[in-house]
Amino acid sequence: MRVIRVEPLARVEGHGGITVELDEGGLSRVEFDIFEGIRLLETVVRGRSAEDVSPIVSRICAICSAAHALTSLKATEAAFGVQVSPQTVLLRELLLRGENIQSHALHFFCLALPDYLGAPGVIALAAERPREVQLGLRLKKLGNLIQETVGGRAVHPVNAVPGGFARLPGVEQLVGLRRALEQGLRDAEAAVELAASLPSPAACRAETAYAAAGGGPDYSYYGGDEAILLEGDQRRVFPAWDYRRLTNERSAPHSHARHSAFNGRAFMLGALARLAVRKDQLSPRVRRLMESLGLEAPSPDPLDNNKAQIVELAEDVAWAAETVDRLLDQGWREEPRVEVRPAAGRGVALTEAPRGLLVHSYVYDEQGRLLKADVVTPTAINTASIEERFRAAVEQAGGEEPAELTRRLELIARAYDPCLSCSVHVVRRADAR
Amino acid sequence: MSRPRLGVFGLTGCAGDQLVLLNCEDELPELACLTEVRDFLMASSANDACGELDVALVEGAVAGRRDEERLRAIRRRSKTLVAIGSCAVWGGVSAAETPDRHADRLAEVYGPAGLCYDSAPARPLRELVRVDWSLPGCPIEKHELLELMAHLLEGNLPPPADRPVCAECRMAENDCLLARGAAVCCGPLTVGGCRARCPEMGVPCIGCRGLLEDANLPGALEVFERSGLPRQAVLAKIRTFGAGAPAGGAL
Repeated sequence: MRVIRVEPLARVEGHGGITVELDEGGLSRVEFDIFEGIRLLETVVRGRSAEDVSPIVSRICAICSAAHALTSLKATEAAFGVQVSPQTVLLRELLLRGENIQSHALHFFCLALPDYLGAPGVIALAAERPREVQLGLRLKKLGNLIQETVGGRAVHPVNAVPGGFARLPGVEQLVGLRRALEQGLRDAEAAVELAASLPSPAACRAETAYAAAGGGPDYSYYGGDEAILLEGDQRRVFPAWDYRRLTNERSAPHSHARHSAFNGRAFMLGALARLAVRKDQLSPRVRRLMESLGLEAPSPDPLDNNKAQIVELAEDVAWAAETVDRLLDQGWREEPRVEVRPAAGRGVALTEAPRGLLVHSYVYDEQGRLLKADVVTPTAINTASIEERFRAAVEQAGGEEPAELTRRLELIARAYDPCLSCSVHVVRRADAR
Repeated sequence: MSRPRLGVFGLTGCAGDQLVLLNCEDELPELACLTEVRDFLMASSANDACGELDVALVEGAVAGRRDEERLRAIRRRSKTLVAIGSCAVWGGVSAAETPDRHADRLAEVYGPAGLCYDSAPARPLRELVRVDWSLPGCPIEKHELLELMAHLLEGNLPPPADRPVCAECRMAENDCLLARGAAVCCGPLTVGGCRARCPEMGVPCIGCRGLLEDANLPGALEVFERSGLPRQAVLAKIRTFGAGAPAGGAL
């Protein structure tokens, strides 16, 4: 029997590995292993009041902490029947765009790019290709600046609270941000050029299904109240409250059966999935960006998710610049937070985190204490899809050296930009076999 | 002095403190030149996973056998071990609940399968190994990390932090949220260094940097109770980041 094992898998967030076993009959086991420690945050939030919940669940993950914090607020507000102002929705969207820029820049330039340019990591790459690394760091910093301006901190935002924001950004802050966005627009253009110039390493080709949040305005990450599954030409729509029918997580002890699958089919989430699912509503700008990268969505190549991230990064920078312009031009209201009166109820919120569809579902009692929390993270859902692609890569490999196959598997895993801190409380752990 | 050999590690946590290091976009290129980054799994796939290190930055709590083994191995190879972030320093959010309920909570989240996992109540690093310096925060503050790195490059450590968040908040002349009486602000009890980031925005301090060594907990609870804030809720809040506040009835 031939065994390929990668452990630990470098340049991803968290602790993971890859196991592939082949015997005479072919592939016998393909696994994306997760060794990340267990934190049980679902039980830490139980009994807490609304104001405590979002700061705790944001700690599920640092890289997508704004997505967790805001999805949490959206679920809590839905449970209490609170409607926040359009200005709050706009600023929350801006915060998520900042996070997306930060997260995609980190992943593309620091974690994935070394693979394309033949370096072991970003530090080594900085010595050989300082311009590219500096470009990535500037874009990452821009994403963080947006998060600091709107959320009060780059990691685990403090300013977004139930009903709105504790403090709105000041004029000088927005003027400063606008100036940074000016450079950001040029940098985003350079990032697109860089991504277009990269080689296309062969990893695997396999069609898949995709899912993303829908029903929101434009290319929204925060808006939306339904999940859309795209399978070939077929689209299925799941209202937020019915998310479990889509995510369909099953826990099976000591096996690798614990997957999110719809009708037994794995589906992919993230930047490429958003472009695929929202294909008919994409703005001319996004279409142009895709064209300049030669990117099509859907795509049988999972590595196209790296390019899709650059499309989104450029779109997000442009959207942020327009939005900050409009805010500076038309002004914003010093509005108080909407009062949040605790009430018994259930709230389900869907958003798009950098890695894809994120669900928070809460039940509160009449005193406004949290009775039950369910969080479904994109990396947990993506695990099944990653394994499906591993399988394709092994099956399509034509007698390459084991090192080459290993490299392909790593490329695939990294292209999904897995975030294992996020995933751990919902997927099986490798030690549970 | 030759460049110190540096390792950056994550145990169980959200990777937020490693992310703060990566968020030092302006300083990162220089830091990479001043140090010799030997082992940083999140950033590189060519790591020296065994050799001696001058400095190890360790994020995350110890939440199982695997973490424990890794931490002991890191300790063995490192001259100076720094706990970065509240999970490493205090246990963090995963240590918010009392350890005795761990098995129940595992079963609740994972079903019966949960009991087979390598999982134990989250513990701070210092319960297992010698820790040479602690940098609390959830996440750590960039300016404190850079100050620490500057000291480490000189071969020493920064002066200990002994001021509460409250002191920094007053110096910033913020409106006191406690005086307003409406909210549990953990500022008087919490290790400072964050420049009162939350109260500065009008958000009460949630104590993410942990309890000050000489925090006057009974006094603070009295103040909270006078404002009509129930003791249990206050204690739960203080315990959120695992800083070892006593359980409900202990005071």
